[in-house]
Amino acid sequence: MIPLVRALPRPVAAPGPAGVIALALVVLLLAGGLADPRFFSPAYLLQQLHTGAFLGVIAIGAMVVILTGHIDLSVPWTLSAAATFSTAFVGAAGEGAQGELGLLVGLAVGAGIGLVNGIGVAYLRLPSMIWTLAVNMVVLGVCVLHAGLYASGSRPSAVMATLGGGWIGSLVPNAVVVWMVLSAAAVFLLRRTVAGRCLYAVGTRESAAWLSGIDTRRVLLGAFVISGLCSAVAGMLLAGYANQAYQRMGDPYLLPGIAAVVLGGTSILGGRGSYGGCVAGVLLITLITSMLSLLQVPEAFKQIAYGGVIILMVGYYSRRAAAERA
Amino acid sequence: MPNDPAFLALAGVAKRYGGAVALRDVSFSAGRGSIHAILGENGAGKSTLMKILAGAVAADCGSVTLDGRPLRLDGPAAALREGIVCIFQELSIIPDLTVAENICLADPPRRRIGTIDRGAQRRRARAVLDALGCGSGLDVRARCADLPLAKRQIVEIAKALARRPRVLILDEATSALSAEDAERVMRHLRRLREEGVCVLFISHRMHEVDALADTCSVFRNGEHVATFPAGSRTHDEIVRLMIGRSIAHVYPPKPERPPPAEPYLRVRGLARDGVLKGIDLDVRPGEIVGLGGLDGQGQRELLLALAGVLRGTTGDVRIGTAAGLPSGPRAAGGPGRRIALIPEDRKTEGLFLGLSVAANLSFAALDRLSRCGIVDTDAERALVAGLAGRLAVKAPDRDAPVATLSGGNQQKVVLGKWLATEPKLLLLMDPTRGIDVGTKQEIYRLMRDLAAAGVAILFHSTDYDELIGLCDRVLVLYDGRVAARLSGAEITEEAIVASALNLRPAASAAGSRRPHREALA
Repeated sequence: MIPLVRALPRPVAAPGPAGVIALALVVLLLAGGLADPRFFSPAYLLQQLHTGAFLGVIAIGAMVVILTGHIDLSVPWTLSAAATFSTAFVGAAGEGAQGELGLLVGLAVGAGIGLVNGIGVAYLRLPSMIWTLAVNMVVLGVCVLHAGLYASGSRPSAVMATLGGGWIGSLVPNAVVVWMVLSAAAVFLLRRTVAGRCLYAVGTRESAAWLSGIDTRRVLLGAFVISGLCSAVAGMLLAGYANQAYQRMGDPYLLPGIAAVVLGGTSILGGRGSYGGCVAGVLLITLITSMLSLLQVPEAFKQIAYGGVIILMVGYYSRRAAAERA
Repeated sequence: MPNDPAFLALAGVAKRYGGAVALRDVSFSAGRGSIHAILGENGAGKSTLMKILAGAVAADCGSVTLDGRPLRLDGPAAALREGIVCIFQELSIIPDLTVAENICLADPPRRRIGTIDRGAQRRRARAVLDALGCGSGLDVRARCADLPLAKRQIVEIAKALARRPRVLILDEATSALSAEDAERVMRHLRRLREEGVCVLFISHRMHEVDALADTCSVFRNGEHVATFPAGSRTHDEIVRLMIGRSIAHVYPPKPERPPPAEPYLRVRGLARDGVLKGIDLDVRPGEIVGLGGLDGQGQRELLLALAGVLRGTTGDVRIGTAAGLPSGPRAAGGPGRRIALIPEDRKTEGLFLGLSVAANLSFAALDRLSRCGIVDTDAERALVAGLAGRLAVKAPDRDAPVATLSGGNQQKVVLGKWLATEPKLLLLMDPTRGIDVGTKQEIYRLMRDLAAAGVAILFHSTDYDELIGLCDRVLVLYDGRVAARLSGAEITEEAIVASALNLRPAASAAGSRRPHREALA
């Protein structure tokens, strides 16, 4: 075969996000293991993976939106609302097949909020940072109106409880399986589908995508709906895990979700990033959090360590990007 | 003014980017009160050289002296302090500021308490534009983002002149200007020369070089190949120096007669509020129709309207089997019309700079490369390989971001992206702007091949040479109307210039321009 593109020399690149994080994970594991032998036990690590799965599902949605150059700040209350309304439905309808319709209620809540987010950003052209933050507040209000400050009659359906809290023969948490299935779907979406290409293209340069004949508004709308659905799934898994829905259950997930995506090397400006990095980012954040808890580090130091890691990694990526440009 | 031949001198300057050598031991000097043309293909090192002088890039070794004094160019600020001002090909104006604010950006006139004196700022900007001769019709209070590319380039030039340079560097800075404005800018450059300014001038338009330069230096592959007085070598010799081989013909031969087919594009009475005032036009399959004229006579709007990008345009239009103007880019590219628009600004409208060459090439054709929304990667790879080969895209590999390619290769990717959709009507907006001779020639050949394969091509260019050399017919627009329809032997520089100024060909005063075409052809 004739070489169709003339080859020019290409400098060897410094390791990418996935590589750096893999390295960081190994170092963390070794350091943690030396400090406390419990760290190496498979049971402990699986448990970490279990809590990481919720974050992982959220990060999928966050990544899809960030790839388009936007951001979804409505994650906490989309998650809470999906959990609240789905469990409320189960509480009202009772157990059994009827109660399982609560899953659809939760998904509908997530998709609905995503739709509202997407319409604001894609069609009304409002800045996503402001619009989704406002939507988050409105949803908060709706949830409080509905339930007061205490979720009433909240109980997860059998499927939610199984998926969120159950294990496959005490080997693998079901939530991790859900995360893996959704991850496979995300990889397929991003790498093999036209929609995935459009996400990258719109995030790189929306005007060029539009001139290429793409309905860029639909792409943005779709990204926010996916994000809403991911938040909803995470909310219902979490409700199943905790055996209830509770107010503010989504609050601890907003910034870690975005941090995982950015640590994974996805450009916050859109258009660049791989899903592998995103998974690595989730693992890193989960591991840091659990290690600091295990070592009983005071909360203040936890926050400092957390911020420090983000500064280090993101600093490294932008230096590396600058070096590639020069 | 003493004409010191080594006013600006470089000795042993070299620069590498990773493994790629951009400049190799370059020694070079330019005199005070002279206009020095720098010639070479894209990637020859011209832009790197200029960036080193402007302080934007640090040389790996070598020295730069100005007026006998060695310079330390460790940043753009240092170069500006020495009076070295550069007008880059990439526009550096700030879109959200007004014309006046941009022109006075470096040192705005201040009141005593330190706030900016807007009145004085507007007056100063006005004065600079008037001195340049391009001020009429340009409101100094206009926001730069609202101006067409050609006007933004004027602002860019005025901004540089406002700094009173000792050394002025123009890197393809006239490439987007209308012929008329380019002429005015050239006149001003001659005035600066008389005032003792050293002007370094990069251009791919040989007639500008002929009209302007005292001295020419040719670069090739990062090396300084030759320096000689302007006019001492023929264009053939210069082109040979630039590309290191001789090229037989810049333009591919035109077919004897355009095929007598039904027009693929038929436009009657196309109108749009004050910009287009009733345009009639036909383009047949196999035909290359040029759109000429001064800048801003409606050429842009005509092409954008045909591509469905411009709302509020009316007229009786038939494209292929479809009646009426397309409602948007998607409808334009759809099966009824099969239109491809190569936009004016390849970096913001044509390409996804951060994405790979492959992703760019296949993007517009994903519809046909996919089933149920799932991309057939084998078909995609085959398409990309075919296009990259056909266009001879020079890239490290197909997964490299398209931003890492040179301007000419980027333009090839834009063309390839649209060829992938197998268009029947190709609308091109100045596709060879800022591109080297070799790549231009490849693009001309490609256009002629496409026409031979039955594509209808409507081609807007700011370069008369291209209209004459490439097109079967030329429509010259003036004030939103077709001022002249030229075909065959009628397509001459005189006729184009005369109709662009809305003069009768007989009254043409443009015959005094130098006959440079023969030399290139």
